[in-house]
Amino acid sequence: MEANTEIKNAKVRIEHIEDVLSSVAAGDLDIRIESEIEDDLTGVEQAINLLIDDLTHELKKSIKMKEDMEDKLRKIQDQQKTILQQQEDLMELSSPVSKVWDNILILPVIGTLDSQRTQIMMENLLLKIVSTGCTTAILDITGVPTVDTQVANHLLKTVTAARLLGAECIVSGISPAIAQTIVHLGINLSNILTKATLQSAMIYAMKKNEQLVDGKVKTNFTDIDDIQL
Amino acid sequence: MNEIVSDKSWILLERCPIQNEHDIVKARQVVRQFGKEAGMGIVDQTRITTAVSELFRNMFLYAGGGEVLVEKGIVDERNTLIVTCIDQGPGIANIELAMTDGYTSGGGMGYGLPGSKRLVDRFEIYSQVNKGTTIRVMKWK
Repeated sequence: MEANTEIKNAKVRIEHIEDVLSSVAAGDLDIRIESEIEDDLTGVEQAINLLIDDLTHELKKSIKMKEDMEDKLRKIQDQQKTILQQQEDLMELSSPVSKVWDNILILPVIGTLDSQRTQIMMENLLLKIVSTGCTTAILDITGVPTVDTQVANHLLKTVTAARLLGAECIVSGISPAIAQTIVHLGINLSNILTKATLQSAMIYAMKKNEQLVDGKVKTNFTDIDDIQL
Repeated sequence: MNEIVSDKSWILLERCPIQNEHDIVKARQVVRQFGKEAGMGIVDQTRITTAVSELFRNMFLYAGGGEVLVEKGIVDERNTLIVTCIDQGPGIANIELAMTDGYTSGGGMGYGLPGSKRLVDRFEIYSQVNKGTTIRVMKWK
């Protein structure tokens, strides 16, 4: 009779364990196995409680880690946005066209000429040619490390477009290494006016505009006397 | 036209994917840097950089991208920088024509491939239509 009751009790307790385990599996981590009697089964019950404790701890840890990761991801995404923004800004910044003298525009090109940038560069230059009425433009490529056929092609197109608007372009800043490379590539730049340095391009342009006669600068401004070069 | 084979003694310096224009610039800088490290002068650096720039651009424009291997090794008893461009693009049907000055299939100047060949010491090309193209250029130091 006594044994029967014990088995019955054990059955009830095992059912309780099953209930607790399924609750835990469903996500309720606060539940624990409660038992009033101390016997062989108590050890099992305590072990399961310990396991639930560990599980809770691990789960909390992984949730925290996930949050950290999401936070980092957000930061990286923000940074990426900033980088894209800066790239766009740089694109605008890196194609300034300035009027340096009466009738003379300068477009210093620095860095790499990809198709998008060349487009912006060409647009800026053409707009400035129209708005200022300048007929001489100097494209300085001192800051361009590699002139391949695409860059040369872009330069040719820009020069041709400027010519259509009545402006003459001078390409300056071709280094000896780039000059040799262009020759080996086989590109014909002979219908573009080129100069080794920005200085010689400037002198050429000023002479052409009769702003530099016998080494003296002539200006239209009345407040500046002839400047000795 | 033989398939391009690699030498096991070559050391892989860098592997660069070409997916966009920015990758072209990056890979080009890598090649220039290794040229510099190999002791090339500024003219040779500019030559190899310009040559690979043409090839990278072709990969990007015509094959939708590809992969670049930069290696160094001994070729014909000379220290050599080896750049191999591999793509899975449409391939080149007529290589002889593609290597002709002034011929272009895509609105360029038509000096890319032949010009690139003139800028390097050795130029190998292997292409299968609809499978892809592999081009290897070498520059002695």
